[in-house]
Amino acid sequence: MEPATIRHAGAGRADAGGPPAALRLSGLHKTFGTNTAVDHVDLVVPRGSFFGLVGPNGAGKTTSLSMAVGLLRPDEGTAQVFGVDVWSDPVEAKALLGVLPDGLSMPERLTGRELLTYLGQLRGIEAGVLAGRVQDLLDVMELGAAERTLVVDYSTGMRKKIGLATALLHGPRLLVLDEPFEAVDPVSAAALKAILNGFVAGGGSVVLSSHVMPLVEQLCDTVAVMAGGRVVAAGPLAEVRGDGTLEQTFVRLVGGDAHARRGLSWLVS
Amino acid sequence: MAGVLIRMKLTVVKNSMTGGRAAWMLVGALLGLLFAAATIWLSLVELPNREVLGDLLAGVFGMWTLGWLVGPLWGGSAVLRADHFMLLPMPRRRLALGLLGAAFVGITTAVTALGFAGLITYGARQGLAPGLLAVPVAALQLVFVVLLSRVAYALFGVVAASRAGAAVTGVLFAAMLVLTQSGWMIVVAVMYSDILETGFSHPTTVALRAVPSSWGVVAVDAAGRGDWPLAIAAPAGLAALCVLLLLVWSVELGTPRRARATIRGSAGRAPVSGGPLGGTTGAVVRKELRTWWRDPLRTTTAVVPIVWALGTALLPLTFDARLLLPWAGPALALFAITSACNLYSQDGTALWQTLTIGAERADVRGRQWAYLIVFAPPAVALSVAFTWWSGAAWAWPWVAAAVPALLGGGAGLIAHSSVFGLVPGPDAHKRPSNPLERADTTGRSNVLFWVGLVPPAPALAVVYLGTRWDERWLSWAGLPVGVLTGVVVAWVLGGLAIRKLTEDGPDLLHAMRTGRPTVSRAAGGAGVARKGGTVEGLSWGLGSILLIPQGIVPLVFILSDIDVRSWFLAMYVRPLLGVPIAVASMLAGIALYARAVMTRVDDRTGRAGAPAPAGERELESV
Repeated sequence: MEPATIRHAGAGRADAGGPPAALRLSGLHKTFGTNTAVDHVDLVVPRGSFFGLVGPNGAGKTTSLSMAVGLLRPDEGTAQVFGVDVWSDPVEAKALLGVLPDGLSMPERLTGRELLTYLGQLRGIEAGVLAGRVQDLLDVMELGAAERTLVVDYSTGMRKKIGLATALLHGPRLLVLDEPFEAVDPVSAAALKAILNGFVAGGGSVVLSSHVMPLVEQLCDTVAVMAGGRVVAAGPLAEVRGDGTLEQTFVRLVGGDAHARRGLSWLVS
Repeated sequence: MAGVLIRMKLTVVKNSMTGGRAAWMLVGALLGLLFAAATIWLSLVELPNREVLGDLLAGVFGMWTLGWLVGPLWGGSAVLRADHFMLLPMPRRRLALGLLGAAFVGITTAVTALGFAGLITYGARQGLAPGLLAVPVAALQLVFVVLLSRVAYALFGVVAASRAGAAVTGVLFAAMLVLTQSGWMIVVAVMYSDILETGFSHPTTVALRAVPSSWGVVAVDAAGRGDWPLAIAAPAGLAALCVLLLLVWSVELGTPRRARATIRGSAGRAPVSGGPLGGTTGAVVRKELRTWWRDPLRTTTAVVPIVWALGTALLPLTFDARLLLPWAGPALALFAITSACNLYSQDGTALWQTLTIGAERADVRGRQWAYLIVFAPPAVALSVAFTWWSGAAWAWPWVAAAVPALLGGGAGLIAHSSVFGLVPGPDAHKRPSNPLERADTTGRSNVLFWVGLVPPAPALAVVYLGTRWDERWLSWAGLPVGVLTGVVVAWVLGGLAIRKLTEDGPDLLHAMRTGRPTVSRAAGGAGVARKGGTVEGLSWGLGSILLIPQGIVPLVFILSDIDVRSWFLAMYVRPLLGVPIAVASMLAGIALYARAVMTRVDDRTGRAGAPAPAGERELESV
């Protein structure tokens, strides 16, 4: 693996004196047994940015994001949302956050509408406002047709959409989305992109992880590349990718395996 | 084909022989061997009435068959599942034959084959010809039970996804529990009666021998009488049944034609808010009630205590004792604790919603209320109805004191146990249909069964004093005391659960995500944990046997001058010696329980601290 070539977004940068960053990870560290999943990661997500976190499988993206939003206890380091520490002041931090984890269960035996309504009530959203928001979200996510289907019977794409709806419900200021577009069909994806772009245009901040480079290039203005539990590059999209595409930069940073590209010689018809 | 499948099965079994699983397999094999030995012994017993022996043997073979029907439902899916091979280009019938071949390789089949050898000894007693006939017939009987079990499981899989199927699962599960714990009552009843001399009534005999599992006995008996047409017809019928079952099975192996039973939600209206269930806790209560209503696993969780209580209370009626009837309600409330002790694991990683919202308090309290709403009505109804039916007027204050304390204590204990003793299982969205896929909480349930008896103790003590001093008002004071203990226990333990969930919620989430606790295991800990698990499983199993049927029961029998020997060791010696044997057995049982608890504690602490071996499973999609 090549050494980190670009390191614009470090813990030392940004928000000195200014308003705090949307998300700031400082020295986050997590080991599972002898395997270091996340190795002292520093990352700053500026306010109002659309931030893409990319990396190969096993790079530590999910682990980092889980620690950032308070779903996984870090061994070391801190995570701050708009200057509020996620681990020492969870209640205030969580009100600012909307989260979409990847592959977790939800209260499975509820319909989409019931799920959103109960979560809204738990968040203390006023009844009149809540009903309107739930309807809007179901319409935008096109989940209205499956009104009587329980979440457990949703398809993978529908699960993503209802998950995103729960993340948006309370009007958070920062969205942290783990693989939000995986298994989502192109039509729904276009709708989601429009929502996210509108959210950022309105002053919100988004962090999303993905391994689909063109998607990140299309949506994000700031990116970070993770590999082997470290951030190997971070900064504005144009700087990170330089003259090539993000994909080329990514392969160069992460280092492709020559074996993997050789192919299977016997697989010919 | 069958050879490959058999090797595959053996490899899977070998790889999954870990911890409690191995222990249970061992215990199961030992119990099976005992039962097989008992079957052979029965076939050799000298009875005054020869006819009865055939009937009894037919009944025992019926029990074997029942075991084969219920076993797979209890033990979860088969090792090799047909859908694993769906993409292979081969005819279904060949696949069915191959899987059947693999199904014969297993401890259960070997043990059953041994038990069915009882048919051969039974035949040999009647002469050479019946003895020789019995050999192929016993083999046929074995093929029959294996096939029947496969077909039943395939068909059951279709209905298990529905709530009715989940309820049936609960009933079967509870029935197995009642039979293993209290089945000795039936044996006692048979021994007390004079059936062994007079024989069963004619209709009972005919009905008993009409069941296919008895056709082997029918054939051997017919051969013994020289009735050769029947002696040939009975095995022929059994063979025909086998062919039929094989056909049904190979058809069932195909791609499922029937849609899975889906449970639907309510149509396009928002759930009402406000009212008595308003607020954040109310939202959780209503969410929980919907889950109790819609999740097959919860249906099973709710049905098991009800059927267990009914079974345990009604079984003594077989020898006309109404003694246990008033206790059906308290038994329900008690067993509900053991059944619902792992609520958070049932919902799996859905916990992230609670954590990101910060609604831990509402979540725990809501679950407690929902538990009470689900279990209090049947417990109260059963208490009132059965106490009234029993006609035991003295029982009223006892039941009135016990039920509220058990319910409230249960609401506290399940919340506490679900958080502090969380046992990760299959995640909620990965088990859409099968209520049998759940975390193994055997050890925890065993502990909670006894701990659950503590909350009603003060109230029952008050009632006892009232009875002792003959003060009616004091007896009835047990009711308010019971209510008070229930409220306090529910409040305090729920509060502890809230605190734990708030502080360590992410660790619990991690445990459910990866199937193991966050604290990493000691190096080389896998082997230690495996050994610990075996010891723990064996300790629970043997401890239960020593404590209850070999300890408490014979002691009660000796003290109340009941003379039934059955399999109670202490009854085979003079009462003077029987008492110390029973007491020693109880002490040994308690010691084994303690051993099991200590193993678990050691296991926990042993895992803390040192780093885990590399290559363990991590977060999905890291």
